[in-house]
Amino acid sequence: MLVPVVLGTATLTFLLMHLSPGDPARTYLGEHATPEAIAALRQQWGLDQPLLIQYLHFLRDLVTGELGQSMFFHEPIADLLATRLPPTLLLMLMSALLSLIIAVPLAAWSAVRNSGLSDTLVRTFTAVFQGTPIFFVATVFIVLFGIRLKIFPVAGYGNTPWEHVVSLFLPSLALALGIVPVLMRSLRTALIDALNSEYVSFARAKGLLHRTVWLHYALRNASISGLSVLSIQVSYLAGGTLVVENVFAIPGMGTFLMKGILNRDFPIVQASALVFALLVILVYLLTDVAYKLLDPRVRLK
Amino acid sequence: MKKLVCAKSFLGVTTALLLGASAFSPTCVLADDTPQAGGDLVMVRSAPIQSFMPTLVAENGSIWALEEVFDTLLLPTEDGKGVQPGLATEWKQSDDGLEWTFKLRSDVKFSDGTPMTSKDVKFSLDQASNEANPFGFINAAIAEVKTPDAETVVVRTKAPFAPLPSVMAIFSNSIVPDNYGGKSAEEFAKAPVGTGPFKLAERTIGVGARLVRNTEYWQKGKPYLDSISINEVADGNTRANQLMGGQAQINEFPAYSSTQALRAAGGDVTLGVFPSSRVDFLAFNTTKAPFDDAHVRRAIASLIDRQALIKVILFGNGEPAGAYMSPSSWSHNADIKGLPFDLDAAKKELAQSNVPDGFSATISVESGDSDQATMAQIILAQAAKIGIKLAIQVLDPAALDEARQAANFDMAFTYNTTDIVDPDEIIRFAGVYDGGSHVQYSFYNNKEIAEKAEQAATLGEQDARKKLYDEIQALWDKDQPMVPLYYSPEIYSFSTNVHGFHPYVTGNYNLSNVWLSH
Repeated sequence: MLVPVVLGTATLTFLLMHLSPGDPARTYLGEHATPEAIAALRQQWGLDQPLLIQYLHFLRDLVTGELGQSMFFHEPIADLLATRLPPTLLLMLMSALLSLIIAVPLAAWSAVRNSGLSDTLVRTFTAVFQGTPIFFVATVFIVLFGIRLKIFPVAGYGNTPWEHVVSLFLPSLALALGIVPVLMRSLRTALIDALNSEYVSFARAKGLLHRTVWLHYALRNASISGLSVLSIQVSYLAGGTLVVENVFAIPGMGTFLMKGILNRDFPIVQASALVFALLVILVYLLTDVAYKLLDPRVRLK
Repeated sequence: MKKLVCAKSFLGVTTALLLGASAFSPTCVLADDTPQAGGDLVMVRSAPIQSFMPTLVAENGSIWALEEVFDTLLLPTEDGKGVQPGLATEWKQSDDGLEWTFKLRSDVKFSDGTPMTSKDVKFSLDQASNEANPFGFINAAIAEVKTPDAETVVVRTKAPFAPLPSVMAIFSNSIVPDNYGGKSAEEFAKAPVGTGPFKLAERTIGVGARLVRNTEYWQKGKPYLDSISINEVADGNTRANQLMGGQAQINEFPAYSSTQALRAAGGDVTLGVFPSSRVDFLAFNTTKAPFDDAHVRRAIASLIDRQALIKVILFGNGEPAGAYMSPSSWSHNADIKGLPFDLDAAKKELAQSNVPDGFSATISVESGDSDQATMAQIILAQAAKIGIKLAIQVLDPAALDEARQAANFDMAFTYNTTDIVDPDEIIRFAGVYDGGSHVQYSFYNNKEIAEKAEQAATLGEQDARKKLYDEIQALWDKDQPMVPLYYSPEIYSFSTNVHGFHPYVTGNYNLSNVWLSH
């Protein structure tokens, strides 16, 4: 799966960037630039070559792992990525954890009180968050927790590992709330099915502890469907980071990609798209591993 | 607690405010305005810092940051109408007009402790004159830089060139150590060494930079601040929130829609309105029919209700534009008022044109720029009344730039701000075909204007130059290659414990004067 996805993403990004109007040399040199200066810079960057040649060079660099230099900042892409990737990884990890911490108890509570008042309340609550855009939730959080209550920083990323975690709490929560509704609903349905199943009745009849029945029988089985939903949603998070990083001024991959697109900084856009593609693949790989841990049938195969 | 008196900044942009120098004393003064030393200032802006290499940058974000690290021979005055001593204390033009002699300050050291001499100046100016640099063109008049002794620099020009002192006050001519202190240009860009009030401590690309006090700074007792952090925050709401939450002390360019609330607030945050050289235009593609016809351009100019634009876009913080030169420049021709909003006049102009019955055209606007979209809507509605059908085309910034530069558009919004205090740069940039951008990509080509601009630059007498500049603006006004829309100020919001913050008309922050009350 790795090779076709990487090659496909890389080629698509390459074509989209090179075929869309806008010239990095013009953007770089500004309004005062003479046509001669622009032409000279295009030549220096190899942009005057036929598209096919540029593409072949690009593929050669890709295979050798050469990411090139940012046109706008004159810095190696690899160095820029090294500072940009950690915030986004931490943000995605924290969002995934937070969404689990919120969704699992809610789903359990809701499943037990199936169709009761609390179930309706939980489902209404999640429906509201499903329909609210992330940037709005994020802004409300900033005003409430950052400016009024001053519990969390308004924006930014901080300087120490602890500051990073604190700074990323609100953005992660905003992202998590976008995932919780879908995750909670699928878990709830799976839990209701499991709770009504014969093996749970049997386990109860055997006189197992309530907690054991819940954890080892109902939740474990329900979590398999929850996991596939989570993995899809986490790859969707990669897109959500674009919005959240912008609102919270987090120096991650999302803001990096946006700036790259606006400046027509081809190497930045190509490298960022590639990183996002690899992130999604990584999430799917981790999901497969988790399946194996949870589901003995997968292990048998 | 000392009482803060902000005289001018609370008045907003009145006519007086745009009249210039005399109206502007420092924005905020304390009743007891003894500066306090120390403190760390955080400024948030959307503009990125591309590089700290003076010769390599073209964007205000980089320019205004590196001006805190480097000095120039001369500095613009606060009102943007002249120059004042910088690293040079005296300067004079030779009798034949071809040589300018600069006497350097003798006690200046770079932030690494080495003394600054004429050798450093020569190296800096020679580097800056490379035509391949984004601002290399600004030194085009320079023939040679000579160093008779360690404290004297002589700049020889190809022809008598009156604007030279102001050229010596532009960021691209910042003074760097000879041969970059033995470093390569790339190494130097990462660890710049200048004579400015601050030196670079750390920088993360795309995040911001932290500058700390330069202990070798030649102005004793300055700067007051221990450090300044210039952080890049793209989202305007986030910047406003950071200021309100105390995470930042200065917010560059808050939304105009927030200015009323900021004025009324009276809390921890205040608004500063500073005169700028910014002029906004609607540019025509004068190479394309029907916009090659001055009557068509004048018809559209008559359709534009500038007061409405100022109310809607700037929330009242601006003045309708007439002449293409900003009122912040001494060259501004105050007699030119622009074409008034008048539908009958527009109809008459159209009747005299090649397309008396109207035509269809597009206004190209930048995606994400709601101001441009709103202005286009207002103009579109008026144009429909005299039979001109306009459509709005939304392009992303890079695509719009390319369309404009390739003359592949009908109408587009543009603006300019000056980098030097002399009018020469903008007179050419927005008026002369070969002035850098083909008249901001309107491709307007008026030989008479070009000749007058050339002639004006060689004259020493300001009155004689002013006369020529007045004529140029009148010629331009008749042809309307662009419609001047409004003159707008630069606005900043900042904490009330920030004092002495007063950016110059040219944009320089001058953070060496800024202090925080603790």
